[in-house]
Amino acid sequence: MPPDAARLIAEGIVLAPGAAPVTEPFAAGEIVGLAGLDGHGQETLLAALAGLHAPLAGSAVVPQGGAIRSLRAAVRHGIAYLPRDRRTTGVFATMSVVQNFAIAAPGRDRRFGLIDPAHRRRRFAAFREALSIVAPSDAAPITALSGGNQQKVLLARVLALDPRVLLLDDPTRGVDVRTRRLLYGVFRDLASRGLALVMVSTEIEELEHLCDRVLVFRDQAVQARLSRPDITAERIIAAMFGRAA
Amino acid sequence: MTRRILAAFAMAAGLHLLGTLLIDGYSAPFAVRALLVLASLLAVASFGQTLVVLLGGIDLSVPFLIGFGNVVAAQLYGQGMPFALVCAIVAVLAAGLGALNGLLSAGLAVHPLILTLGSGTAVEGAVLLWTKGFPAGSAPQFVADFVSIGGSVGGLPVPLLVPATAVLALLLMLLLARSPFGQRLYALGANPAAAPYALIRPVAMAMATYTISALFAAGAGVLLLGFTGSAYADVGQPYLFQSIAAVVIGGTALTGGEGGIAGTVAGALVLTEANTLLIGLGLPPASVEAALGAVILLLVSLYGRTPPLRASI
Amino acid sequence: MIGRESRPALVLLVLLIAVMAALDPARLAPRGWGTQLGLAAPLLCTAAAVMPAMLGGGGGIDVSIGPLIGFVNAVLVGVLVAKLGIAAPAVLVPAALLLGAALGAVNGLLATVVRVQPIIATLGTYLVLSGLTLTILPAPVGGAPDWLRALAGGRALLPLAALVLGWAALRRTPFHGHLMATGSDARAAYSAGVPVAAVRFLSYVLGGAIAGLAALMMTALIGSADPNIGPTLTLVAISAAALGGVGLAGGQGGLLAALLGGADIFLLQSVLTGFNVSPFVLQIAYGLILVASVSLNAALRRSGRA
Repeated sequence: MPPDAARLIAEGIVLAPGAAPVTEPFAAGEIVGLAGLDGHGQETLLAALAGLHAPLAGSAVVPQGGAIRSLRAAVRHGIAYLPRDRRTTGVFATMSVVQNFAIAAPGRDRRFGLIDPAHRRRRFAAFREALSIVAPSDAAPITALSGGNQQKVLLARVLALDPRVLLLDDPTRGVDVRTRRLLYGVFRDLASRGLALVMVSTEIEELEHLCDRVLVFRDQAVQARLSRPDITAERIIAAMFGRAA
Repeated sequence: MTRRILAAFAMAAGLHLLGTLLIDGYSAPFAVRALLVLASLLAVASFGQTLVVLLGGIDLSVPFLIGFGNVVAAQLYGQGMPFALVCAIVAVLAAGLGALNGLLSAGLAVHPLILTLGSGTAVEGAVLLWTKGFPAGSAPQFVADFVSIGGSVGGLPVPLLVPATAVLALLLMLLLARSPFGQRLYALGANPAAAPYALIRPVAMAMATYTISALFAAGAGVLLLGFTGSAYADVGQPYLFQSIAAVVIGGTALTGGEGGIAGTVAGALVLTEANTLLIGLGLPPASVEAALGAVILLLVSLYGRTPPLRASI
Repeated sequence: MIGRESRPALVLLVLLIAVMAALDPARLAPRGWGTQLGLAAPLLCTAAAVMPAMLGGGGGIDVSIGPLIGFVNAVLVGVLVAKLGIAAPAVLVPAALLLGAALGAVNGLLATVVRVQPIIATLGTYLVLSGLTLTILPAPVGGAPDWLRALAGGRALLPLAALVLGWAALRRTPFHGHLMATGSDARAAYSAGVPVAAVRFLSYVLGGAIAGLAALMMTALIGSADPNIGPTLTLVAISAAALGGVGLAGGQGGLLAALLGGADIFLLQSVLTGFNVSPFVLQIAYGLILVASVSLNAALRRSGRA
């Protein structure tokens, strides 16, 4: 992999006192899975990559862009982040589907200083197609959608920021099987269009099936780095529990 | 949501009909004009409160800032300062306090009820200290004309205040529905934990919103100066609860993220109708107060109820 | 007993006592303690009365507490004593407590069964009660019974001690744990089987009963019934409780916190009036201290969490 293809680099990020630093480039076109038992550092790394919190040492760096210190800076550098818990950190329950979609960049639909609802609907239509979002209407409350469709709207929200790096925290949690397959297709497609995807997942099968590389975390550090064809459930699980992969 | 607003407007119309049936002259031109002026004043005082409530906060400094605008404008204008400068000074000071309310409530997560109560109390104390408790001065004639019940504008038999309030309401509705600020306000009120992930800045939003609230309150104070003719630091006190009641009767949820300005206009009309009706029935002031409380409770129990806790699990 | 949220209030109390000692040591002499306690008792009780609803969280607040006290005061002296000639403590004390509890129950029903947001519900009862008070008692009347007046001085310790003991007993009941759990996280409490609505309802009843006690103390102090005294108490009481560290978010503070905040406000008033400072300065100081203390509390909470 040529180094200039790296979209985002973890540079010596220390997740806990005494833990080994994590240094890792994330390249255009690859899907990197972050695995581990709950609370072993994979989510903390993802959050650090998104600029959500400062690691004890090291930083998330964009080539020719410097260190990422906040989510806003991350978005400016083409990094988008989809949080884990839809209900608490994702949807705005009193707002409509299209409002939920547009809220991260409401200024993009402005015409003569005011949001143009028609423009907003058109912008959403493209994503509704691509992600096959099923909704009674764009103006329906977001809560009228199934969990999987809500998740797709949230994915559309971050994709509308035109990211070059997509950070996903367990994006298929609580999502039905059909939607899950659809999302896998979307993720592969995004990667083939040159995005770098980094995703935390609690589904071993998903990591096996989808990822080009998997980092397995143990005690706030990377225990194993797996790439195809070594990404197997046995190896991932072995590394999760601290045994040699 | 629309149903609640329509219900509130229907309630206002119903009260008006009741008044017309029960009280002689309730729908006389002068009485209707007085009603519209009073409702407009209440609406202006409640607009800022509406935005704060949409954000999920509450602004108890409203009545104190009404008194602040009222007294400071009278005092400075009375000392011979040009009125434009007077308004600028009042606006800058009020905005400063509003920004502080927003900064502390969002930045430190202080409960806004206590915070705005404290800051409002301090401001009123400062105003009283400055005027030694006896404010002097008055508003220029054109402000008095602007709110005068006998006034007219163009062919309309109402003072400019009434159409101006309507225009203001429309502008605010446009701001809420069609500006990034408005959309972020609803989002922040609906789910503050999700807002930062949608690139919403809670502290900046709170500062802007409480500033707007402070400006509306101080503006209502200046209008009241034109209405009553003399300055009085406690002139805003009835608006403490009425501004909140107007917002809630209009269907805006105190939990944030739901409701809007149209409802507040309806709420202001309902409260003004109820108040006028009770006074018109010849009740003494104390009974009017008690009955108004009962009416507010009744209205809110009818359609201002919150969902049960089990619905949120 | 005193949580970290009450520390700023404690520091302020010590500071105020030190200022008082430096400026006017005579006022701190033990023989004046009784008088001071009598003067402070109504405020302390009122602060305690707004506390239970705040502990329950979920926007729980009783802004009607001031008019509620005014109403009980008017009924006690204006109706029971003046009109019906009943002055026996065996009647008046239970009457005050029961009337307070019953009115608290009305607020509780509105907040938990009708499910009107507490600030709006109690704002409604605020208006109703202050209007009713003025209707049954248009002007102040004297004539509080002697036994009640006698509670105004050092003997105010008696009802205050009863309050503290009552609260100490309450802390040993499951209700207290349920109330704190509800205030900290109502959803979690509900899922864990806590009867959230019933607990919140009882918190209003309890606050009402304490308000009844506050009305007795107020009547003892002023020796009369005054229809205008109630409404002014609400804001002072909420400020005192918040200053003492009773959090509006719920689950934070308790009786001692409320009493501490009440003592702070009482001493503040007393220090500033002792200086012959204009009441306006007192008002400014009062507002600023309230803002500063809740901000400090919030900042401490943040640093504690980080």
